[in-house]
Amino acid sequence: MPRVVFENITKRYGTLKVLANLNLTVEDGAFLVLLGPSGCGKTTLLNLLAGLIETTDGRILIGDRDVTDLDPRDRGLAMVFQSYALYPTMSAAGNLRFGLAAQKLSHAEIESRVAWAAKLLQIEALLDRKPSQLSGGQRQRVAIGRALVKRSGVLLFDEPLSNLDAKLRTEMRLEIKKLHAELGQTVVYVTHDQVEALTMATQIAVMNGGVIQQFGTPDEIYDEPANLFVARFIGAPAMNVFDATAKSGAGSAATAVLDGIGATVDLSGCRLAAMPPDGARLCIGLRPEHFLTGEPNGAASAAQFDLPIRDCEKTGNDATAYLEAGGQIVAMRIDPARARTLKAGDRLKARFPLDHINVFDAQTGRRL
Amino acid sequence: MRSELATNSVAAGSTAGNSAARARKRRFKGSSVAVFAFLCMCAAFVAIPLYVVIVTSFKPIEEITLGHIFALPVSWTITPWFKAWNTMCTGLSCDGIKSGFLTSIEILLPSLVLSIALSSVTGYALALWNVRWAGTFLFVLFICAFVPFQIIMIPLILVIANLGLFGTVWGIAIVHAILTMPLLTLIFRNFYKDIPRELINAAIMDSGGFWLIFRKIILPMSANIMVVVLILMITTVWNDYLVGLTFGGISAQPMTVILANAVVTSRGEVIHNVNMAAAIITAIPPLVVYFALGRFFVQGITAGAIKG
Amino acid sequence: MAPQLALTPALAITLVGFVWAIGWTIYMSFTRSRRFPDYGIDPAGWLSQYQRLFGDDAWETSLRNLVVLAIGSALAIAFGFILAAMVEREKFGEGTFRTIFLYPLAVSLIVTGLVWRWMFNPSLGIEAFLHQLGWTSARFNWLATPETAMYGIILASIWHGLGFYMALMLAGLKSINTEIWSAARIDGVGIWRLYTGVIIPMMKFTFLTCAILLSLGVVKAYDIVVAMTNGGPGTSTWTPAYFAINAYSTRSNIGFASAAAVIMLLITLAIFLPLVLITAWQNRRREAAGT
Repeated sequence: MPRVVFENITKRYGTLKVLANLNLTVEDGAFLVLLGPSGCGKTTLLNLLAGLIETTDGRILIGDRDVTDLDPRDRGLAMVFQSYALYPTMSAAGNLRFGLAAQKLSHAEIESRVAWAAKLLQIEALLDRKPSQLSGGQRQRVAIGRALVKRSGVLLFDEPLSNLDAKLRTEMRLEIKKLHAELGQTVVYVTHDQVEALTMATQIAVMNGGVIQQFGTPDEIYDEPANLFVARFIGAPAMNVFDATAKSGAGSAATAVLDGIGATVDLSGCRLAAMPPDGARLCIGLRPEHFLTGEPNGAASAAQFDLPIRDCEKTGNDATAYLEAGGQIVAMRIDPARARTLKAGDRLKARFPLDHINVFDAQTGRRL
Repeated sequence: MRSELATNSVAAGSTAGNSAARARKRRFKGSSVAVFAFLCMCAAFVAIPLYVVIVTSFKPIEEITLGHIFALPVSWTITPWFKAWNTMCTGLSCDGIKSGFLTSIEILLPSLVLSIALSSVTGYALALWNVRWAGTFLFVLFICAFVPFQIIMIPLILVIANLGLFGTVWGIAIVHAILTMPLLTLIFRNFYKDIPRELINAAIMDSGGFWLIFRKIILPMSANIMVVVLILMITTVWNDYLVGLTFGGISAQPMTVILANAVVTSRGEVIHNVNMAAAIITAIPPLVVYFALGRFFVQGITAGAIKG
Repeated sequence: MAPQLALTPALAITLVGFVWAIGWTIYMSFTRSRRFPDYGIDPAGWLSQYQRLFGDDAWETSLRNLVVLAIGSALAIAFGFILAAMVEREKFGEGTFRTIFLYPLAVSLIVTGLVWRWMFNPSLGIEAFLHQLGWTSARFNWLATPETAMYGIILASIWHGLGFYMALMLAGLKSINTEIWSAARIDGVGIWRLYTGVIIPMMKFTFLTCAILLSLGVVKAYDIVVAMTNGGPGTSTWTPAYFAINAYSTRSNIGFASAAAVIMLLITLAIFLPLVLITAWQNRRREAAGT
């Protein structure tokens, strides 16, 4: 399976620069997710790869071929669209066959591929139906089937699950992941949903404002966000970010004093590239699920909190407490059983362990 | 060189020659040029008759007889225009088409008022008020919109004659209102159906009655559709020939009828430049409306065609 | 109460101006009315007007011309689609092209006919122009011979209606989901196959609408005939509408004219009803499939 390389990609619409000098490599067989909010440029990048729009500058390589000047049909790709884009006047089988006819394959070959894809996606019974007679999930499968029959090395997805309801989305996520494991194509997948990204990707490129904010595995993105944008974008509920001031203590130990609540956070457990100088402005990021609200077990903690509860949200198997912290709301994951005993106004004591602390420079937003 | 932030990947060795390659790549597809050329040819086919008419109307007779139909006039003259307006012979008299111009206006204004008033109220009633037989009525109207004029022509003549309105502009205006009522009603009804039900209900709760709601709420919201309908009607009525011919008698002949009489049915010498000038004068009002309000015109035509 | 009251004018007009009027004309077609209505029907000869009609050569010509005009004018739909597809693809100058192609609609058919008649003039029009270019054997005098006169009318009709069908087709093309175009580009489908296999089938309804509108327009063809040939040479460019008007105004025969009008109505219904039935049937099928 080919690898995909974006080299110094710039895309301009008149004076509006959507992408600027973007570089990205997708290893062969990888499942890359382009993740970001609307308008971040992820769909533009996908369309550039597909050849549906032209680059203003830069090169695109698929395998060893420079495809920058090639038409979509000559790039050896397949694509699954957000609204499926099935040809409405043809049956499902017709849709699967239509693109193959352009490749000049034998009739037998076409039929065998159609049968293979239908079996893989469990749509054999639907082959004779027209798209208008299929449900959303079924249409999605046919759209995926149309892409798979091409047996291309690279497979593109443009927010394919956004038109499905929540339950179907979960099913299809598993399907797509399974397909990738079986077929091993190089996949470039665009979405704004971080759950899809975290569950399906082998690599994620988080994008904002036309720039890749961070490129790495899902674990890297989650555990070590490279900047404040990534930190806040990934994770639900979102990471709590506090403004703080650095204080260098004795030796090389550093602490940060959080604005508003004045709590001190011990930074000795963090692997910082460099110690922040005394008085430097920082942003400290603490994820809701890492707070400890149970009985202390003697392990050292980086910070202690004693805050009043604003509200508790219970979702059956999980619960989140929202606490007032000097003008800011702090979210903490708590045990559902515990949540039932709490109400607004109660005070909750919590500790934060030494690791899992994210430190960012307050000015640049970059991770330290 | 610029260095942007936050990418972890390896750039595969960019070359400075990229920008040059990109400039060259601004593909001028051969097919694109061919398509544009074909479109221009067809546009010329459509535009040329207008050009020919205009050019002919400014030529003196001597140049016409030379037979260079596409050539620009060597000596421009507006005499044909004066003649067309004042002295052209149209059947019985030689007074030019100016009387026809006036008659057409006298026909147009009442037609507009009658047809729009009638159809807008009818469309409003059918769209927003509960009338039990509305569905059937609309279906009947739909069919009426398509019946050929000839099938109701003679009875209408009798009715208009019995009303003493034969050969008057009001007679013609009434016939236009009748003929266009089905289509216009459907257009208005489709437009008014899109007004949110809650708005009407709120007005009813505010003790608004049928006419009050129409005046205070519906009419102010109708600007868009009124323009569309207006343009459609102006074109239809001004360019009409058959209704004016049939119901105008001798005394109320619209411009198209006089033009046809002068050019088509007259015997004797055919004066081409005068005829062309007369044709342009006849064609100008709707053309002006078209070029000034083109967008609404397109909407109007397709609204008139795609209904139901 | 008020809505019903407000509807009475429209109701009255429909009942009198359309329903009663159509009934009256149908009735008249069975009578021997000439200059004035004669309400007596001779049971033995109640179809006499129709027999006269179908024995009349001019009527036969009219019907034939109707078919010829319909088929010829259908070129306007084909060209309209081609132009719309091109305009839609090219994007550049779309507004200008659309303005140019549509202006003939604002021109009355009388003026249209006169202008084309002028251009068909053998000694002063296009034929003269072609001769001047050196092509001395060129013939562009279609209106002079019975065999070709109808073609002149067809050409003028196409000129007049081209923009209209282009506009309808353009609207239809624009309603196609943009992702279909993208999918086809990725599928590597050739232009020809794209249009014939995907786009045109998706525009079935638009084509049908155009065909219906064209047919209805052709049945009503009168102004253009008067302006271009006044029915001539001889009766070679008569249309049913022209025939009916002529039967009333020139031949002063109400019964005869009514019969012609009734046939026109039947033709209209024959064109119109299938559409209504197909749409109703399609709607019922769609509801049953539960989409």
